[in-house]
Amino acid sequence: MGMKLRRTVASTAASVLGLTLLAACGGGSDDDSGNNGSGNAAVAGEKGGTLKVLQHFPYEAADPQRIYYGVQLAWYRRLIYRGLLAFPMSEDGEVATTPVPDLATDTGTSSEGGKVWEFTLKDGVKWEDGSDITCEDVQYGTSRVFANDLITGGPNYTLSYIDVEDYPGPYKATPEQQAAYEEAVSCDGQTITFRFNKPWADFPQAVAGMMMTDPYKEEFDEGAKSQWKVLSNGPYKVEGGEWSKNQGATLVRNENYDPATDDPEALRLALPDQIDYQIDPSDTAGELFNDRLIQDAADVKNAITTARVAPTQFPQITGPVEDRYLNVLSPYTQYLSPNFNSEVMQDVNVRRALAMSLNLNGYVKALGGEVAAAPAETIVAPDVAGSTENPAFAEDNNNDGDPDGARALLEEAGVQTPVEISLAYPTSPTADKAMAVVQEGWNAAGFDVTLEPQGDTYYDVISRPDDEFDVTWGGWGADWPSAMTVIPPLFDSRPNFSPTTCGQNYGCYQSDEFEALVDEAANASDVDAQVESLVEADAKLGEDVAYIPLDVSKFNWLYGSQVTGFTTTAASSSYPEIGLIGVQQ
Amino acid sequence: MWAYIVRRLFIGVALLLALTLVTFVLFFASPVDPARYACGKNCSEDQRDQARAALGYDKPVYEQWGLFMKGIVAGRDFPADEELRAAAPEVVTHCAAPCLGYSHLNSSTVNDLVVDAAPVSISLALVALVMWLVGGVLFGILAAVFKGSFIDRGIVGLTLVAYAFPTFFIAVFFLKYLAVKWELWPYPTYISLEDGGLASWLGNLIIPSFTLALVFMAGYVRMTRAFMLESMTEDYIRTAKSKGLKQRTVLFKHGLRAALTPLVTMTGLDFATLLGGAIITESVFAYPGLGLLTVQASEAWDLPTVIGVVVLAGAFVILMNIIVDISYAFIDPRVRLG
Amino acid sequence: MDNFLSVRDLRVHFPTPDGVVKATDGLSYDLAKGKTLGIVGESGSGKSVSSSAILGLHRGTSAQVSGQILLEGTDLLTITDEEMRLRRGREVAMIFQDPLSAMHPYYTVGNQIGEAYRVHHDVSKKAARARVIEMLELVGIPQPDRRVDDYPHQFSGGMRQRAMIAMALINDPGLVIADEPTTALDVTVQAQILDLLQKLQREFNTGIIIITHDLGVVAEMADDVLVMYAGKAVEYGPTKELLTHPEMPYTWGLLSSVPDLTADVEEKLVPIPGTPPSLLSPPSGCAFHPRCRYKDQVAGDLCVTQQPDLTPGTRGPGHLKRCHLTDPTVPNEEEVARS
Repeated sequence: MGMKLRRTVASTAASVLGLTLLAACGGGSDDDSGNNGSGNAAVAGEKGGTLKVLQHFPYEAADPQRIYYGVQLAWYRRLIYRGLLAFPMSEDGEVATTPVPDLATDTGTSSEGGKVWEFTLKDGVKWEDGSDITCEDVQYGTSRVFANDLITGGPNYTLSYIDVEDYPGPYKATPEQQAAYEEAVSCDGQTITFRFNKPWADFPQAVAGMMMTDPYKEEFDEGAKSQWKVLSNGPYKVEGGEWSKNQGATLVRNENYDPATDDPEALRLALPDQIDYQIDPSDTAGELFNDRLIQDAADVKNAITTARVAPTQFPQITGPVEDRYLNVLSPYTQYLSPNFNSEVMQDVNVRRALAMSLNLNGYVKALGGEVAAAPAETIVAPDVAGSTENPAFAEDNNNDGDPDGARALLEEAGVQTPVEISLAYPTSPTADKAMAVVQEGWNAAGFDVTLEPQGDTYYDVISRPDDEFDVTWGGWGADWPSAMTVIPPLFDSRPNFSPTTCGQNYGCYQSDEFEALVDEAANASDVDAQVESLVEADAKLGEDVAYIPLDVSKFNWLYGSQVTGFTTTAASSSYPEIGLIGVQQ
Repeated sequence: MWAYIVRRLFIGVALLLALTLVTFVLFFASPVDPARYACGKNCSEDQRDQARAALGYDKPVYEQWGLFMKGIVAGRDFPADEELRAAAPEVVTHCAAPCLGYSHLNSSTVNDLVVDAAPVSISLALVALVMWLVGGVLFGILAAVFKGSFIDRGIVGLTLVAYAFPTFFIAVFFLKYLAVKWELWPYPTYISLEDGGLASWLGNLIIPSFTLALVFMAGYVRMTRAFMLESMTEDYIRTAKSKGLKQRTVLFKHGLRAALTPLVTMTGLDFATLLGGAIITESVFAYPGLGLLTVQASEAWDLPTVIGVVVLAGAFVILMNIIVDISYAFIDPRVRLG
Repeated sequence: MDNFLSVRDLRVHFPTPDGVVKATDGLSYDLAKGKTLGIVGESGSGKSVSSSAILGLHRGTSAQVSGQILLEGTDLLTITDEEMRLRRGREVAMIFQDPLSAMHPYYTVGNQIGEAYRVHHDVSKKAARARVIEMLELVGIPQPDRRVDDYPHQFSGGMRQRAMIAMALINDPGLVIADEPTTALDVTVQAQILDLLQKLQREFNTGIIIITHDLGVVAEMADDVLVMYAGKAVEYGPTKELLTHPEMPYTWGLLSSVPDLTADVEEKLVPIPGTPPSLLSPPSGCAFHPRCRYKDQVAGDLCVTQQPDLTPGTRGPGHLKRCHLTDPTVPNEEEVARS
């Protein structure tokens, strides 16, 4: 969920470095997708009751084509917006990242080397108003993404793939333009065909994880005015038909949803009869929600929250509270980018010396220890296809840092020590502490590190190609569980570079060999081949030290004592898997 | 008096015009491209241009300001892109005069946003006003009457302490302890009068309004005390005493009446400022008033909403100024508006 | 003499961080019903302070008041606050110098006068209003039934003072203290106000203490005169006697610093040199000695070292003076005699 995760990780960088990762101490940790909270997770869910969702930030829209928040995509998929495909609710990472049919009869068939994809809609799938979901609805929904003037904010990968030129979206299109689009995305009965201008091997993942290709009923559409309107096709509908940005909504059963057309076990149990969303977009809301959950206050016994436990609250998670607590790895990774425009960074041995002398264990400890983060050996988060320990980082040291080895590398590079470098990162008390650990390790290896803590405009500052920083901090999460949404967006110079910016390629890295591997992955006709190329591409990045992995964030969740079936999955971005959750009566 | 009011209103409108112009210029003087925020971060240049045109940000500043003024006078249709409006009438939003603009962030006219948000801010401000006036004046009188005693020092000291704590801190403290930890008060969420009735509306307003009132209360205690002490040295107080009036009558009828008059100006202006939205309080308590609207809009570079709220807040202040001045004609018989 | 008011050894002291300010220090005088006492002195001589003490206005402040204030035999300094309050306005009323600031700007004249009446009489607002109108008429306010609803700022200065007089007399008090009642008024109005006061005094048989620095006022109004300097009486006697035969250099000075409109314009006014003394640390000996042009006529440095007592002067026991001069002949007889 690049954009979405980007938003969580990036625009509120403090929430990553400052809050999420700052565990101070804590309860037990566990393996990758593990569930160490006993609590009610094991209790068999029963139907009925009211689930309360405490949300600490407002959504930007309720219109499927405008949604980019990972947790919103995951939860809406379970509750109100079914897609052609969906990710199953499994604690097994591989299962949870493999798309299965939802509105479509199968996971799609591709031809022409991945350039054409076909899906057929199931019979009997309906909108909440009782009308059938048609192929034209999918065609129309997909077309809306092209209207950048009205349907803004959502992911728009389809724009660069769908084989149509100068299409301005369905509102402004001339009949000719519309016809051209309908040729690229065409309907034949209940079968929709997407024609791309290049292969898109992981398109099913995109279809399942994003809502770019979700159906939308044309007669329901009012352009931007539809921002908060919801026409559901899932097991719930929004009472009143409209989502309130700052107050949320009440979800009730959708009588026109037929579980027979669905696979409830895999995709959505839909246990509660009602789901009350309560939105509190204040800065303190998240912490206060968790305060209430720690107390298991009467009004939150049936509640879950989008807010992770704040590090300051960890000491309170003891005794019975621990039974309602979960600590899991997230799909978010953090990394450092050496600046390839910086003179001292030209020599690969200098960059290697940075990686080798990085005291990652100390860094993680400063972030709050193992409840807050885990050391990473690649930028690709676990549960993302293509996540393999990068040999360049897995083998360079034992994560305590090796200053002597690094010193030798600097000698080899023939640079004068101490090597003066600057390190930029978004400031927060925890980040300051953690970066000081990095600084100390590097200084021991023969660097002279100046820390450059930055404010709110961090990403604007570091994306400038002429920034003076030698190393910059970054964070990322995949848009869908494919390294295609990690490696190319961050290190391919072609989509990123422009005269004014290096885009998200903060180190301004450029390598023909690497880009050839990316092209190979992009042109792969199947996912396995694609993954193979991406692993190779990652290895190349490691060899060049285009980045130095730091950590994978960990999420800490609390829930009320009446909540059943609480767990997280890769399909829910390590947020609570709402499709499994029920309420004890 | 009518001539006076008309003249004041006229000046007020001119001030508002200047205010919108300044806001426009300040907004566009910033290096941030609002279209980037509107379009989303992964927009290409072309896509951004499309979004920019739809929002009207492609036009020069003075033209945008002209359109804004036209909207105020005659109303406007959105999106700003005429071609788009012609091609797809179903996406057009009409914004009737006085149109404050259209928010891309909320896909709604600023007027609608303001109509939704203003009652929240007004409720907060109103309840806070009652609290700080009652509390401030009462404690101020008490301090003045017992000037120099431990009561006086206690009140002044306490209000100073309350004043010294940032609103944010107090708000979080109330939420964390009163509402969550000790469960002394239900967790406040805004419930409108129509939805919840008087008890629910007021009950939920108590904590946020009190938070808001605390800051003002400190000032009002000190001001009431000072004005009261000053008033009690006036000749007419000596006259009142020498008539044999009871201490209570001297204090309240003669002393307080004069002491309160300068408070009217302060109260009017403070209240007017709050009507424009209490940013910190609304943000911490998540009350969807004008303050929260402004915060969310400025984070997303949603210019029309920011300008709309600025104009509205400015109008509140200007209007309240006029009301305060007029009210003086009734409060102080010496004042005659000409 | 059956005295209505007897003040004995009245002291009003104000403790301050710098020491005790002796605003009034051992003042004694008498006043019979229906008579007028003029208290004369420069500002800061303690004349207003001593009168405020009669009304008990220093109660509740840090002022230390001692001595006796006997009003019809009752010592006003020993009664309770409530008893004092009930006497204020009813038995002792006050007329202030500046009627504009002495009246509340936000209430109508009628309201303020009526309030003075109703606090001492259990009557309806309507009855009080009728009484106010009656009083306003009595003090010469034209169209009193209309003007009763005016605010003080709508009155002229003279009318305001008339209203103040109405307010003071509405309860028919035995004693009225008029503190510089004409100082803030035009000269032409001054005479009218004084006439009014005299007229009403006769009508109500009121005792009046008139505090002033204007000997002209005293000459017109007062039966007795008390000259105060630095918180003490320096000369006290029947008006005519005292003004024609002053025996204290300070009184001489006061008399010669009053312009005489009937006199030759060439005639020089003789101001009293220097400034009034500090009440915090008054001069040694006679408080007036630093400004006294005649201290050389006293043997030795008596004026500097020893405070003279208030003793009968050369003209009999009714005329008291506080001065070491043995031969208090006015150096410039004509100048003094003109009043």
